[in-house]
Amino acid sequence: MKKFNFDFIGKRKTFFAISIGIVFVGLLFNIFFGVRLDISFKGGTLLKYSYQGALDREKVESFIKEKTGMDVSVQLSETTADNQEVLNISMPEAISLDDQKSLDNELNKEYKDFNIERLNVNSLSPTMGRLFFLKCLVAIALAAVFLVIYVAIRFRKIGGISAGAMALVALLHDILVAYFAFVIFRIPLNDNFVAVVLSILGFSLNDTIVIYDRIRENRRKMDKTNSIGEIVNVSINQSFTRSFNTSLCTFLAVSTVALLALIYNLESITSFAVPMMIGVISGCYSSVCICGPLWVMWKEHRQRKDALLKTKSKQKA
Amino acid sequence: MKRTSKPVFFIVALLILALGYTTIFGVYANYGDRRDTYIRGAADIRLGIDIQGGVDVTFGPEGNVKNVTESQINGIKDIIAQRLVGNNITDYEIYADTTNNQVIVRFPWKSTEENFDPNAAIDELGKTALLEFYLGSETETTTDKDGNTIESPKGTPILTGDDVDSASAMYITEDGVSSPVVQLKLKDSGRKAFSDATKTQYENNGTISIWLDNQMLQNPSVKNHISEGVAVISGGFSDFSEASQIANLINSGALPFGIEVKSNGVIDPTLGVKSLDIMVLAGIIAFIIVSLFMILYYRLPGFVAVISLLGQVAGSIAAVSGYFSFIPSFTLTLPGIAGIILSIGMGVDANVITAERIKEEIRAGRSIDSAIARGSSESFSAIADGNVTVIIVAIILMGVFGPPSGLWATILKPVLFLFPASTTGSIYSFGYTLFVGIIFNFLMGVTASRLMLRSIARFKFLRKPWLLGGERA
Repeated sequence: MKKFNFDFIGKRKTFFAISIGIVFVGLLFNIFFGVRLDISFKGGTLLKYSYQGALDREKVESFIKEKTGMDVSVQLSETTADNQEVLNISMPEAISLDDQKSLDNELNKEYKDFNIERLNVNSLSPTMGRLFFLKCLVAIALAAVFLVIYVAIRFRKIGGISAGAMALVALLHDILVAYFAFVIFRIPLNDNFVAVVLSILGFSLNDTIVIYDRIRENRRKMDKTNSIGEIVNVSINQSFTRSFNTSLCTFLAVSTVALLALIYNLESITSFAVPMMIGVISGCYSSVCICGPLWVMWKEHRQRKDALLKTKSKQKA
Repeated sequence: MKRTSKPVFFIVALLILALGYTTIFGVYANYGDRRDTYIRGAADIRLGIDIQGGVDVTFGPEGNVKNVTESQINGIKDIIAQRLVGNNITDYEIYADTTNNQVIVRFPWKSTEENFDPNAAIDELGKTALLEFYLGSETETTTDKDGNTIESPKGTPILTGDDVDSASAMYITEDGVSSPVVQLKLKDSGRKAFSDATKTQYENNGTISIWLDNQMLQNPSVKNHISEGVAVISGGFSDFSEASQIANLINSGALPFGIEVKSNGVIDPTLGVKSLDIMVLAGIIAFIIVSLFMILYYRLPGFVAVISLLGQVAGSIAAVSGYFSFIPSFTLTLPGIAGIILSIGMGVDANVITAERIKEEIRAGRSIDSAIARGSSESFSAIADGNVTVIIVAIILMGVFGPPSGLWATILKPVLFLFPASTTGSIYSFGYTLFVGIIFNFLMGVTASRLMLRSIARFKFLRKPWLLGGERA
């Protein structure tokens, strides 16, 4: 086994370019395809019926449109878990229990040979959904604030504000990547999104902290003639195997879940596990390749500024 | 540093295996037909409605009602809870969200009933409660169309919910003794009838019984003739909470508004059961993959890590099933299982950090004992810090998605008070399993791993630097 040695600080421009590229691609997807919100965030109704036989999607859609007077959208899918044909109806408004029941009856009357049976309903008023969405966004912001404050306090010896600020940049990077994962895979934002983003924040910061911890230690131990860049590079290299291995184990565990969920078409789990896989990679990448190098840039910038001030004051004197 | 003796490894490993075995299988004793549960196993875990199917409803006042009191919302909660129990549904979850005037109910599909009609169940739960007052407490038994016998109060009611203004619990001090009572305020419509009734019953030493949905709440003796429309029910309450529950229930039968379904979700059980099997399978595969990786990469510390990891997973399951008497059982949802699997991956972190440190020390030429000692002490701060971040995140998840009156939600209330309770219930379980996963990760990955590693490294045939990450000799 060789000792790991890679010039993370020297390659920082490449890393920044990669991240900016990913954000750019994500934004393009976002602009062209937009982002969808799940019922739990935007309100409305989602009904799922099982059926047998071959339904004509468009006919069913226009039939329900006519019966409910709402702009419904109908999709046909299949659950691989038990090979069941599923009719999905989504509506922009919440509907009452009585309306649900009469829709059941109408469908059974019109398509009586298809053995239509209702599986799931999810109905929520749009105002409640929107408020809950806001609550989730506030919660994400709150988590980021708490985490950054924690880092700033724990690492005040190596410049808590700068350590916290760079950790925040890494966190924003991870939030964006997790968000783009939902956009690119066309997964409607739902409560899983919040779970994924928050877990990634915790996970990514865990990585960042281990690196900072090493930097703090190496500043004590290493020769003072080493530049900040060298100290940080050594620290990242020393903790790299650990960052990589923990991320690998987490990635393996999450991708096992994602793979099985994909095979058996478990929607509620794929929409959680697939973005989480990407988030785990992003969390490791942002800590190692973005946070450390960025912090060095900040420190070098400060040093240059200080040096400039010194020479200026000398010139004056 | 004190040496850890050889048997310590086996003691710790056996304890973890015992914990693992009992969390999965539980400890039961069978006496004929009776089965006593000493320790709850994995089969006793309460599964969320996303797995076993069920109903998730939010009730609230019909239309746009202002001035809804906390007692009224709690009353709706209490009457719904009473109806659930009346329908033999005992594993429900119910929360009153008094800031947003809503009551959230989740209950599983009744597995005993083939043709369970969730809509009818929701309808029945959300009915306005029938509050009635009767002279005396005689009952009569009738038979309904299905042949079930129903016990109901006899005679015609003297008052109904429409005649009651409100009820509230309070303390009254009499002869220096303070005791909880329920104060009942009547509307003008009920004052005359109540006055007449109390007059008769007072003269006959009789009682006036109060019934909600044909269940007798109270049957107080009439001690005065009450003509003012304000009565006090005293004496029967063991504590204040009992009095306020009765007051809430009376209020639920005297609501000035109807109850409406604000949101509802019904999940058919056929979809969920398969997904449970798939997730359990995913968990087992993930555990095996991670274990193989750890043993192949880190050798001896990796082997120890796998035992700790087993302890961590067992601990997480135990914290959900109610294995420890001091941790109440918890509803496990699909994201909750995902949380356990995620913490399998994240959980190796403590062991990875320590093992990497030991490897470095070995390569720096230290002896085995000193490398293990230094590797453990030098890595502690990084492990502790890393765990704190995940704990912060898990607490926020539980506060946002948990019940509005829960501990974490209360802590976050100063920030999130403007927002309604969660519209979905399954993520709360994820926050919880992530939280307990990290706690057990810390306990196992730090304490148990180190004890085991120090002890196992005393065996002569294992004292090889290679096994701790050094170069192969």
